[in-house]
Amino acid sequence: MTSPVETAVVVGVLFAAGLYLLLDRNYLRSLIGFITLANAANVLILAMSGDPTERSAPVLDGKPLPPADPLPQALILTAIVIGFGVTAYLAYLYYRLHVDTGGADLSQSTGGDEDVPGAEEVR
Amino acid sequence: VIDLANLLVLPVALPVATALLLLILARPSRVRRLVGAGSALVVLGAAVATAWFVLDRGGIALRLGAWPVPFSIVLSADALSATFLAFVTFTALVCVVYGFAETSVEDEHPLRLPLVMLLTAGVNHALLTADLFNLFVAFEVMLVSSYALITLEADDREIPRALPYLTVNVIGSTVFLAACGLTYGWLGTLNLAEIAVRLDGGDPRAAWLAALLLAVVGIKTAMFPLFYWLPRSYPVLPPALAGLFGGLLTKVGVYVLLRLFVTVLPEDLGPVDDVLLPAALTTMVVGGLGALSRSSVQSILSWHIVSQIGFMVTAVALRSPLAIGAAVAITLHNVLVKSSLLLTGGSIRGLAGTDELARTGHLYRAAPWLAAAFLLQALSLAGLPPLSGFWGKLLLFRAGTESGSWTVLALAGVASFLTLASMLKIWLAVFWREPEDVSVPVPGRSLRLQTAAIGLLVAAALAVGLGAEAFLRAARAAAGAAADRPGYIRIVRDAEGGRATEADAARGDGR
Repeated sequence: MTSPVETAVVVGVLFAAGLYLLLDRNYLRSLIGFITLANAANVLILAMSGDPTERSAPVLDGKPLPPADPLPQALILTAIVIGFGVTAYLAYLYYRLHVDTGGADLSQSTGGDEDVPGAEEVR
Repeated sequence: VIDLANLLVLPVALPVATALLLLILARPSRVRRLVGAGSALVVLGAAVATAWFVLDRGGIALRLGAWPVPFSIVLSADALSATFLAFVTFTALVCVVYGFAETSVEDEHPLRLPLVMLLTAGVNHALLTADLFNLFVAFEVMLVSSYALITLEADDREIPRALPYLTVNVIGSTVFLAACGLTYGWLGTLNLAEIAVRLDGGDPRAAWLAALLLAVVGIKTAMFPLFYWLPRSYPVLPPALAGLFGGLLTKVGVYVLLRLFVTVLPEDLGPVDDVLLPAALTTMVVGGLGALSRSSVQSILSWHIVSQIGFMVTAVALRSPLAIGAAVAITLHNVLVKSSLLLTGGSIRGLAGTDELARTGHLYRAAPWLAAAFLLQALSLAGLPPLSGFWGKLLLFRAGTESGSWTVLALAGVASFLTLASMLKIWLAVFWREPEDVSVPVPGRSLRLQTAAIGLLVAAALAVGLGAEAFLRAARAAAGAAADRPGYIRIVRDAEGGRATEADAARGDGR
């Protein structure tokens, strides 16, 4: 049995931590931030199927209990797959940035605006 | 008898199938290009046929898998979706063809064409779906392909510039997912028509949902203060892709804004309504100022995307039927004009080796047709009559006068002036002036093909401008469909497909 307040707190903390980490300069932190953020949304959706106590699985097994709502789980499955794809992409991108610049965070790469007049010469 | 509603699957399924086929034909070749362009052409045909039918006889919808309606996933096309789809698929085809002219078969990246196909599948799906979660999936298909495309051919220096695009859009997607979850938890449905039904009657949660969705749409369309990623990352793209992104992605965001905030969500959204108009007006002016401050073609044009989004959202925020019509007209005109300008910018880069304003010149002499195309589209963007941009702005100014909001009129005037000024800046530096230290570049055969592709978009934009009566009729029909909530609910609920079920029979009796 979970209370809605606990879920709300968990989701809130996950969202906040995920956002904070995602916006970090460090590539690895940023990646972990995205994973946390994606899972925050997944937990939120899971919570939307309601309290599962006293409810059966949504299959016809002859039990008299009302079934839990299966749709949020189907939604999460899709969301997890998409999140996994983006995670894989980001992991490779950060790896390539690491190889290109030799550093582990954004401070090594040029963050400058290219088309400000004179930027070309400075670089 | 083949039901016409089945046609709605084509713009989504065909590009995906083509992408898979192109992955099997792994190596770039002429045959592969033919397959890609052919597929885009068939999708355009389907889109035009749909638009033709829908504008004539009203919306159609298809329920996939023949499940009874609130439970099945529904694809629907009303006048709004259908007109957007027709314009977007046309621009996609031209950008694909331009890409062929821009790079030779040997230099083509083998993954570019399949990814472009997946991107268009996502765009088309977003325009057709009548389901919030499917809209999320469509956005993801579109965005993940765009993430891949933006870094596919970028060099070491360019990739860090694409990072804000990735980070901001990843956050936007997560917020959208959370919004989908909350919608299902609160309302027990994800079908857009059912959401509209259940939120009717002053549900206080509508404002919360609207706030979340506004954040999502704000990120996708690059609205102030969420626009920073766009002008930074778009100049990284190869020209053909810049045209595709500039013409399609942000405009799909505007479609979703119209669909969700005009059709689905109730009129009175309290604080969200108060935020929308100031944000839009700021976007309009900040985008224009940004454009004026830049000194390379693609960068100026990317800032213009932001400014134009400001115009579209301002029109949506004014909410009168005339203003919604203006939003549709400005967006459709932008799909054609913006992408052709970005393609022109790409040709400039190909011809002069750079698109820095300080290092170009003489191009009027080297490529007069390109110069003419640029001038026409630039003046159209600024809104000079009788070009395509004029009509949307005319509607916007009339809507502004009607509602007596003089701030809107003044700021729209300022932003238009900024647009014109920065367009002239490009025109004078790149095409008109003849500096001593810049030599006249020699155009090749590839440039003629590129100019021909751009010419298709220019011709379409001219047709829109000169045939304004038909265009405005379509825009008004689209705006009418956007504002017609009962009509949309009816279209989705009457979705066809598969054999009639008992539920259908019961529904039919109840009528």
